[in-house]
Amino acid sequence: MSAALRFNSMHFMPYVHLPENHKEHKSLWVNFSNKHYDPDKGYDLYQRYLRELVLADQLGFDAIVVNEHHNTVYSMMATPNLLAATLIPQTKHAKICVWGTPPNFMYPNRLAEEYAMLDVLSKGRLEVAFPLGTGMEYWANPVNPATAREKFKESLKIIVQAWKEDGPTSFYGNFYTYRFLNPWPRPYQRPHPPCYIVGTGSPETIEIAAEFGFGYSAVFVTQQRAAELNENLRKRAHHFGHTIRPEQTPIMSFVYVAETQERAEQEYIGHLQRFFEDFTRTTPQFLAPPGYLSVDQLKMRAAMADKLHGTFDFKAISNAFFVAVGTPDNVANQIGDWTQRMKTNHVNCVTHVADMPHWKTVKNLTMIAEEVMPRLRSRAPAAHRMAAE
Amino acid sequence: MAKFSREVHTVDGVKTVVHTAGSGEPLVFFHGAGTVDGFDFAEAWTDRFRVIVPYHPGFGESGDDPTFTDLHDYVMHYLELFDLLKLDRFNLVGLSLGGYLAAKFASEHGHRVKKLALIAPAGMIDPQHPMMDILAVPGDQVPGLLVSNFEVLKKHLPAQPDLDFIGERYREAGTVARLLWEHPGDPKFMRYLHRVKNPTLILWGDEDKIIPVQQAETWRKFIPNADIKVFKGAGHLVHLEKPEAVEAVAKFLS
Repeated sequence: MSAALRFNSMHFMPYVHLPENHKEHKSLWVNFSNKHYDPDKGYDLYQRYLRELVLADQLGFDAIVVNEHHNTVYSMMATPNLLAATLIPQTKHAKICVWGTPPNFMYPNRLAEEYAMLDVLSKGRLEVAFPLGTGMEYWANPVNPATAREKFKESLKIIVQAWKEDGPTSFYGNFYTYRFLNPWPRPYQRPHPPCYIVGTGSPETIEIAAEFGFGYSAVFVTQQRAAELNENLRKRAHHFGHTIRPEQTPIMSFVYVAETQERAEQEYIGHLQRFFEDFTRTTPQFLAPPGYLSVDQLKMRAAMADKLHGTFDFKAISNAFFVAVGTPDNVANQIGDWTQRMKTNHVNCVTHVADMPHWKTVKNLTMIAEEVMPRLRSRAPAAHRMAAE
Repeated sequence: MAKFSREVHTVDGVKTVVHTAGSGEPLVFFHGAGTVDGFDFAEAWTDRFRVIVPYHPGFGESGDDPTFTDLHDYVMHYLELFDLLKLDRFNLVGLSLGGYLAAKFASEHGHRVKKLALIAPAGMIDPQHPMMDILAVPGDQVPGLLVSNFEVLKKHLPAQPDLDFIGERYREAGTVARLLWEHPGDPKFMRYLHRVKNPTLILWGDEDKIIPVQQAETWRKFIPNADIKVFKGAGHLVHLEKPEAVEAVAKFLS
């Protein structure tokens, strides 16, 4: 196992030009009209966001991360593979993480092909994550949420078979029939790029990661829950004969660094608040289309939503979730603490949120790269003894 | 009027709960896409019929079968259940999604059905008078769309929905999504609907917000041997709002 602590820079590429009355909309997902999208502004944002991802590579981040969402201001990354293809020639060292396209929204052979293309184009810099897709995506795509998990699992089987076995092979499933599964090109990395499952903690999804021996990236869960989920993944993966390595359980974190604690909070908190209150705002109906969750999960989440209901509380959020905002020392200490407790060496930093301006993103990326990473890397071995245990 | 007694059967591995009451010719009732409104109304039939009310798999007291992805799976389920109950020939009444299922059953196995009553049945593709896409409606708005007089439904709803209630509604919506998310209408169903030769009564509330009452005429074009009864001032759950609709079914079947 590599002893190096790994840092990703993750972007959502939000469309930040919300109409003044946007608070009147219960959801900025699914049915929030695309008449509010101005392509001229979109062009400027794409240019800027791509520069921020390229800068992360230049500053020494180990990976840059793009992801997929539909019908929303939250993200302009409807097809992240296009962005990955744009980023490959503009970057040199960073891994290109497409975390990722929900396999349910593409033919599995086509996704296997596109990822293989990106892997070859980048000479093996690709990493992929397979999300089931949020509930909201199932209102945007013509796919049944009630059979989504079965379809998801079948798609993964097809993709892995396409990558691992010499073609042509065949596949006869409940959702797909392949008489000649033989995608060209094959991935550059053998047998295939590192794979993760992304999820918000449904046990059904963790079981799939465990079965395939994939990593699991828990997103939007508390620290306590992430620790439980990772532990469960390690246990269940062991049951299927896989050993989960520390880098396979990245921590998805919100990070902002400035010269002083006060300044960091003053520069950042408003953006984080708008991220949670506006950019993720949607309805229970869109979050959980019929059949998307098990009834137990639905009840658990409904109970949690009742508890979380209230005003944005930065202190509470930063204590419960992976949020590190402050001086290089404070942020390095927090990240160091997380990696030990989560038994991982993989820190996935969301470096831009909501309507954060370009200068803050550049400052944040630079501070993380030049002030936080060296502090943690100098003491990485200690953290990694723990992580390897 | 007799009270219902509860039977639990296992049909092809699926727990299937059936409520029965009364005596006389058998009358099977297929419920709709939700079971919150209950079956009290059916007690009015028990003095003339042996009333048999099964919960479909994935609804109410019956168990789940996640392999059911098509309405035809329910037709097969009921063939098994009726064999098990030794029900050879019976009257069939279906409400909404249950009306769709009853009509499908009758189009395939009409000889098992004596008379057919369809209460605001779903399943018709009628571009002039389309059914509301109920799967796209937020759950808390659904009850208000089901009836014209909310009082008749209110007594079946909790004052404050708790997690169990929300979970149960989510379960039933998930069952419906398995069947209808991708294809809310099936053109093949209409293609074979003319095979329903049974005497048929179609009942509708003229204020139905879910399925427009105009669809009654569309149904009659497919089922030649059908009469229509429209009840003024009633919504989708016409049987709850208008006791005379329940009585009209009994009269027609007698």
